[in-house]
Amino acid sequence: MEIVKLDGVTKAFGSVPAVNGLSLTIRQGEILGFLGTNGAGKTTTIKMLLGFCRPDAGCLSVLGGDPCDPATRAKIGYMPETAYYYPYLHVRELLSLYGGLCGMSKSAIRERSEELIARVGLKDAGDRLLRHYSKGMLQRAGIAQALLHDPDLLILDEPFTGLDPLARIHFRDLILELKRRGKTIFFSSHELSEAELICDRVAILKQGSLVWSGAVGAVAGNGEQNLERIFLKMLGESDGSDVRKRAVACAEKTDASPRAAEEEVQS
Amino acid sequence: MKVCPRQIQALARLSVLELYRRKDLIVVFVLGAVILLPLALFTPFGVSGAARYMNEVALLLVWLFSLVIGLGVSARLFPPEFESRTIYPMLAKPVARGTILVGKYLGALAASVSALMVFYLAYGVLVGVRQGAWFPVVFVQAFVLHVGFLAVVTALGLAGSLVLTPSANLTMNGLLVIGMLFFGQRLPSLAAAQPQPGKAVLTLLHWFAPHMEFFDLRQRVVHQWPAIGWGVCAAVLIYAAGYAAVCLALASVAFRKKRF
Repeated sequence: MEIVKLDGVTKAFGSVPAVNGLSLTIRQGEILGFLGTNGAGKTTTIKMLLGFCRPDAGCLSVLGGDPCDPATRAKIGYMPETAYYYPYLHVRELLSLYGGLCGMSKSAIRERSEELIARVGLKDAGDRLLRHYSKGMLQRAGIAQALLHDPDLLILDEPFTGLDPLARIHFRDLILELKRRGKTIFFSSHELSEAELICDRVAILKQGSLVWSGAVGAVAGNGEQNLERIFLKMLGESDGSDVRKRAVACAEKTDASPRAAEEEVQS
Repeated sequence: MKVCPRQIQALARLSVLELYRRKDLIVVFVLGAVILLPLALFTPFGVSGAARYMNEVALLLVWLFSLVIGLGVSARLFPPEFESRTIYPMLAKPVARGTILVGKYLGALAASVSALMVFYLAYGVLVGVRQGAWFPVVFVQAFVLHVGFLAVVTALGLAGSLVLTPSANLTMNGLLVIGMLFFGQRLPSLAAAQPQPGKAVLTLLHWFAPHMEFFDLRQRVVHQWPAIGWGVCAAVLIYAAGYAAVCLALASVAFRKKRF
């Protein structure tokens, strides 16, 4: 089942194109890493997936609906890259606010908040205002608010930023546990090593266009063709862009390794 | 505009909590107490008329403080959210933008009215002790209409917070409210005496700017004049609700068009 479907999505801000003809699908229970350099269009894509803005052309659907519809957003959890949240609230009050916005009952909010606060390791910091939190602690609060209403799709924007190594491991375990429970996870990142560890597939974006998409399993552990090499190759000024595009389409269809797909297209 | 009570309650609670925890209000309360107490307790030169004048000044200060609180709270409803990007997780929740507006508006209004209540209670007790008149009907009406005034001020501030910076919002709306409070009643006569285009500008202002003088019962309270009819009171509150609704509708258009 396709949870996210983008078909020729284009978005420009004035005369500056942000996303250019992006076509992508994410299936249920999949973890998709959305990679690209700064300004590649990752955050704009996420904003469209959350209904913050509409595409200029093309169409997209999330969980079979329009993300501008609150009923669709009720099934999405979102963690922004840098949200400082409300500095004069405690983490429980923050979760109570978001739980209220999700229409959860007070008892459900209380129960779920305690569970998540313990899960993200903020139990000892529960009585401190958020303005006294470190960046890593705010990220943990962000994870908790994203998971509060038990969403089917998680959209995470640079989720590993600011987390210490231990928190990274915990968060990675959490993501994998969510995947086991059938949740779909879409996350953007610069961190190729993390993407390689947890993603089923990755999509690489360059200047708003998809330049590569394929299964991580096919490249992981292959010294000659690991994710970092693919990333650098796709973002480099090498020739053969036409071949690359066709390889993207081929790899998407077959889940074959990108190298094999590229060779197949070249041949 | 689809609204959900549970979501509105959560948003309103956020505005009230933030206002009290930021501690800005404590400064206003302390300043209010420092100014109100001597004004209400002392009778300068033993002249009773002068005491009445002092009461008038005290009540004027209550009005100015309430304006500062109402506009100050509402002008900061959205800009910090946009700046620190806390608006993103909020918009990602299953909440309509109209609900966010209404929730934030009610929260700012509740916070401003709670502060106003403290001022009125202090003023009422002080005047009661001095003059023996404990919360007469006209005083209650003055408070009720003052709440109507805050409903309009908060709605103006909220609409401005979506298109202006907090300082520009405070300045423009502050000037508009103070100007209308003191000169609103005289606008038709002022307009009649002006050549064009001044006449047209003042006439437009008369029809479209909020008539804050409708909410002002200070003279009646200070001089212990009889209360106004409750029907008039209700009509003025309906005017306040209508004006606030127009401001919220305009704010809703601006919020929907806002690019994130």
